Amino acid sequence: MSVFYFVAFLSIFFALMTIFTKNPVHSVLYLVITFFTFTVHYILLNAQFLAVVNFIVYMGAIMVLFLFVLMLLNLNKDTEPLKSNLVKFMGVIAGMCLLVTLAASFRLLQISDPVVLKNPDIGLVSNLGKVLFSDFLLPFEISSILLLTAMVGAVLLAKNDPKKV
Amino acid sequence: MIDLIWLIPLLPLVGFLLNGLGRNVLSKPLVGLLGSGVVLASFLLSCGVFAEVYTARQAGEPAVFIQSVFEWIAAGSLEVSLSFLVDPLSAIMLLIVTGIGFLIHVYSIGYMKHDAGFAKFFAFLNLFVFFMLVLVLGSNYAVMFIGWEGVGLCSYLLIGFWFKNKEFASAGKKAFVMNRIGDLSFLIAVFLIFNTFGTLEFTGVFPQAAGMAMGDTTLLLVTLLLFVAATGKSAQIPLFTWLPDAMAGPTPVSALIHAATMVTAGIYMIARSNILFTLSPVTLQIVAAIGICTALLAAAIAITQNDIKKVLAYSTVSQLGYMFLGLGVGAFTGAFFHVITHAFFKALLFLGAGSVIHAMGDEQDMRHMGGLKKHLPITYVTMLVATIAIAGIPPLSGFFSKDEILAHAFSANKLLWVLGFVGALFTAFYMFRLLSLTFFGKFRGTTEQADHLHESPASMTVPLIILAVLSAVGGLLNVPSALGGGQALANFLSPVFADSAAVTGPFHLDHSTEYVLMAVSAVGAIVMAVVAYRQYAVKGTVPKADDAPRGVLAKLSYHKFYVDELYDTLVVRPLNALSVFFYRIVDRAGIDGLVNGLGKRVGESAQGIRLLQNGNVGSYIFMMVIAAVLILAFGVFNG
Amino acid sequence: MSAIITLSLLAILVLYLGLFKARRALLPVSLLGLVATVVLYGVQWGKTAEPLYSGMVLFDHFAVVFSVVCVILTILVLLLSKDYFDKSSPHVAEYYALLLFSLTGAVLVVSFHNLAMLFIGIEIMSVALYILAGIRKKDFASNEAALKYFLMGAYSTGFLLFGIALLYGASGSFDLAAIKEYVVSNPQGISPLFYAGILLLIVSLAFKLGAAPFHFWTPDVYDGSPILITIFMATVVKTAAIAGFLRLFYFCFIPLQDFWVPVLLVMTIITLFVGNLTAIVQQSVKRMLAYSSISHAGYLLFAIVAIGATSANSVLFYVTAYSLSTIIGFGSLILVKRATGSEHFEAFNGLAKKNPYLSLAIAIAMLSLAGIPLTAGFVGKFMMFSGVLADYQVLLVVLAVINAAMGIFYYFRVIVAMYFKPLDRDAIVVSGPYRVVFFLAALITLLLGVYPAWLTGLI
Repeated sequence: MSVFYFVAFLSIFFALMTIFTKNPVHSVLYLVITFFTFTVHYILLNAQFLAVVNFIVYMGAIMVLFLFVLMLLNLNKDTEPLKSNLVKFMGVIAGMCLLVTLAASFRLLQISDPVVLKNPDIGLVSNLGKVLFSDFLLPFEISSILLLTAMVGAVLLAKNDPKKV
Repeated sequence: MIDLIWLIPLLPLVGFLLNGLGRNVLSKPLVGLLGSGVVLASFLLSCGVFAEVYTARQAGEPAVFIQSVFEWIAAGSLEVSLSFLVDPLSAIMLLIVTGIGFLIHVYSIGYMKHDAGFAKFFAFLNLFVFFMLVLVLGSNYAVMFIGWEGVGLCSYLLIGFWFKNKEFASAGKKAFVMNRIGDLSFLIAVFLIFNTFGTLEFTGVFPQAAGMAMGDTTLLLVTLLLFVAATGKSAQIPLFTWLPDAMAGPTPVSALIHAATMVTAGIYMIARSNILFTLSPVTLQIVAAIGICTALLAAAIAITQNDIKKVLAYSTVSQLGYMFLGLGVGAFTGAFFHVITHAFFKALLFLGAGSVIHAMGDEQDMRHMGGLKKHLPITYVTMLVATIAIAGIPPLSGFFSKDEILAHAFSANKLLWVLGFVGALFTAFYMFRLLSLTFFGKFRGTTEQADHLHESPASMTVPLIILAVLSAVGGLLNVPSALGGGQALANFLSPVFADSAAVTGPFHLDHSTEYVLMAVSAVGAIVMAVVAYRQYAVKGTVPKADDAPRGVLAKLSYHKFYVDELYDTLVVRPLNALSVFFYRIVDRAGIDGLVNGLGKRVGESAQGIRLLQNGNVGSYIFMMVIAAVLILAFGVFNG
Repeated sequence: MSAIITLSLLAILVLYLGLFKARRALLPVSLLGLVATVVLYGVQWGKTAEPLYSGMVLFDHFAVVFSVVCVILTILVLLLSKDYFDKSSPHVAEYYALLLFSLTGAVLVVSFHNLAMLFIGIEIMSVALYILAGIRKKDFASNEAALKYFLMGAYSTGFLLFGIALLYGASGSFDLAAIKEYVVSNPQGISPLFYAGILLLIVSLAFKLGAAPFHFWTPDVYDGSPILITIFMATVVKTAAIAGFLRLFYFCFIPLQDFWVPVLLVMTIITLFVGNLTAIVQQSVKRMLAYSSISHAGYLLFAIVAIGATSANSVLFYVTAYSLSTIIGFGSLILVKRATGSEHFEAFNGLAKKNPYLSLAIAIAMLSLAGIPLTAGFVGKFMMFSGVLADYQVLLVVLAVINAAMGIFYYFRVIVAMYFKPLDRDAIVVSGPYRVVFFLAALITLLLGVYPAWLTGLI
């Protein structure tokens, strides 16, 4: 349990750092660390597949891509848009309110049963594969349409229109 | 014949479609023929239907026929069928709508001859007749509402018919808005009725209602809402100002819609729902009070108006007030009787005024008329008949119907009778003022107009003559027993009002009292008629110019008691202010924020926070979060 | 199921057609495919429906009818698209494909039987639209609409996922039947997580529907997107959103009515007032229609507030009436904007003189949106109102009727402009497909208004 609380504290801490850092590159790096703590969570929950995917895809691929883009754009502290303190203040308050009401509506403050996994092996790669290809076959297949849509869209938006003659 | 009820509204609809679609193809005579032909056919069918109802009544049956065309809306417990109900009440209404409708169609052939939108006009007129028939024939509140809304729409279209003039269009808008308020209240009433009785069919609602207690609050609410609806359609305080403005439309429209048929829809509806009203005495008192106030106010305004159609418009409002007074004091037959006679003489007056306007080359100001008697003999004689009838001078029709209402008012509350009597005096005065200013004295128009003066063509005068005959003898329909009459109409209608009669008990007034009342009102009307005649015909007084100084009362009356201005300050301006508020605060033209904002004006966006819909994603999300917080918080406290 | 496969394959086929530059074939092929889909659904009609693929989708009457409505609306939209896309970009095939993908998503949303499918359906539907909203790359408004829609859509997806996760946490399943079982069998011991999950789902679905207070994106996105895409969003997406909303709540949450109805009740009232009051003051017809679509979302929510056996029919009727009129409204706006370059009310001035039939169609559409009797819109409103009344929400009906009256003012501004504001103008050329669409939509609007029984007994 204490491991969980420690890692949970780390995730929140680094998530906050991601937001509060002025330098975009640092911000991304903090995000990477946050994701790393998530990976630890997954392992604690015995969700090995998720842990690996999170580690490789999110931290390895996407975040590195982000970093490259940021460096190529040459963003730094000065280009960050200025927000008045009032806006920040409002944002913080709104966020806190959401957090508090959410927590309250779960009744988290009253009870906290220890998490018991019904099937501790559900997160293993082979089990996950079986579920994906049996029960959740349809959503799994249909997700391909989602990906295709996103791909078509990305190409469409990124591609330059040929100059009109 | 009863099986053919569905044809009665269908025929005008066919006329509308043919005239509407073929308006560029059909020749004018054909359009006129088609337009009036379908209404004539409906009229003949109505006569047949009426004959059957009449025979059934003679045989002592209640004579209620229902024809269901098809199931209209069926969803769960809600079942509304498109079905028609013929009973004595609707049978008479049918005759009025199709009969007078036909005459006015014929009249329009002559009146609108030179208008470019001839076919369009007839199409709209046919459509109006269709909706009016649906309103009259509907066997439940939903079908009645279709007609109710439809006639409003047509009236809007027909008022705005000459839309090149901006004033006309705005008059249409006013009629529309005021009618909307009424329709709104009708719709709420419909839902309340459904909620209370579980059905909208008249035959289902009324028996249930008859079993309810006197003064039931639901009934009170329903009847109040229905009454508000009626004030909108029938131009009563506070929603009466649209009717005089509606005179901007072509004169046949004024005659058909704003005198004979549509404006009486409110009275028809209340008469139809009489049992609901009888069981909520508070509403009836309000109806009577509003009715008498409207009658007096409108009559007081009519006295000083100079536009011939405006006088008639206020007179219509005033007469409608009498009808509501009648309803309010429980004289349902009397009120409906007045609907009938009023339809005759008011349609005649409008058509006569149209004939005058036609002859004067679209001049409507009575100060420029005078001495038209010899140029327009038929118009003069027919209008004289109508004037005597509306003034309540025996033995023409208006006397009988008004007398019946006043007699009931007398037995209900003496004050109502006194006020009603004063209104009748006003009526006699302003009507003879109109007649004198128009037909007597010297001609006051331009020489050009004088050369142009001519009697209208036969298509216009024949309807006038027919209506004049009806106005003269219409009173015989319901001669009171005090005068040895058989009260034919009352007997004919008795099953419709049977439930109410059972609640209130028979109406009784001493014959001697009734003689006195009749004599007083007849003598009063004749005296006022003579006064007006001496003032305007013999002495030849001409009303003052618009800006001439007037006494306080005259000024108030001339400016229509400043009701329009009052509404403007109390309602229109605050509403405008509210709209502007919404426009400024809630919707500050959204597209200007994010992309161009970030791209071009990074610094500017920090200058301040614009509220709500200012195109900024950040603030949208902020609002969403707040909303989500509220919803979740609700869950916390509720769950 | 075959319909979903057909749709997906059709979209891919269209992409290939684009690859081989068969531009002329695009529209006919898409239309044929859609018609085939309708036919496939028709064949399915009447058979007893079983949840397919381990309870992922269920093609019951509800799903079939709403899918067919979505497909037919898409057919109408595609008919309007002739000559529309060619002006903005050469990638027409991709646009068609994206529209079809989005339609696939919509069909999934109306036929899901598992929350995973709901999520995927909503995402497919939305992602395609995020892109379509921004296809005018040179147009700031279009870019902005796309970006806004995307950012806010992503945000609402967060709520959706969180809500689904909470429901799963409480009930242990994504399957609607299992969730219902959980609700029914634990009348007292329902976890607080479950309640919070319902609220979060309300938030996200209300967002997709464009109901206040989650409507903020609607006017900007509708206004900024190309009109044709706006039509798609305002009709197909709205249909799918309300149908999905209703399906979820009707299947699972009826026993907990007392908990969530008050929330929706308040939202409905706010939606009505925000939509109508703001629509009144608009100067642009497009923006007016955008706000009016918010108010119609409010009327649609009535069915969920008064949830019951008749809700599906009311929604079906209302959404059909609303969509047909909206297609005419926005479709005519395309023509008017092409002719005058303006979207303001003034652009409609004097239209009746030169284009009497077009004006008539627009007038019918506006009357139907306003809910005037003898049009489909009236029957729709009537059914909605009476459904709510049966639930004894008299106050709501009174407020709604007041709102309906407000609505009439801004819809009539269009009619007034067309008929009562004279202006010399050139006649607008109405091409063949547009005529067909307007004629069909206006005709169906009137037919349904006079004889609604054709549609009311379907589900």
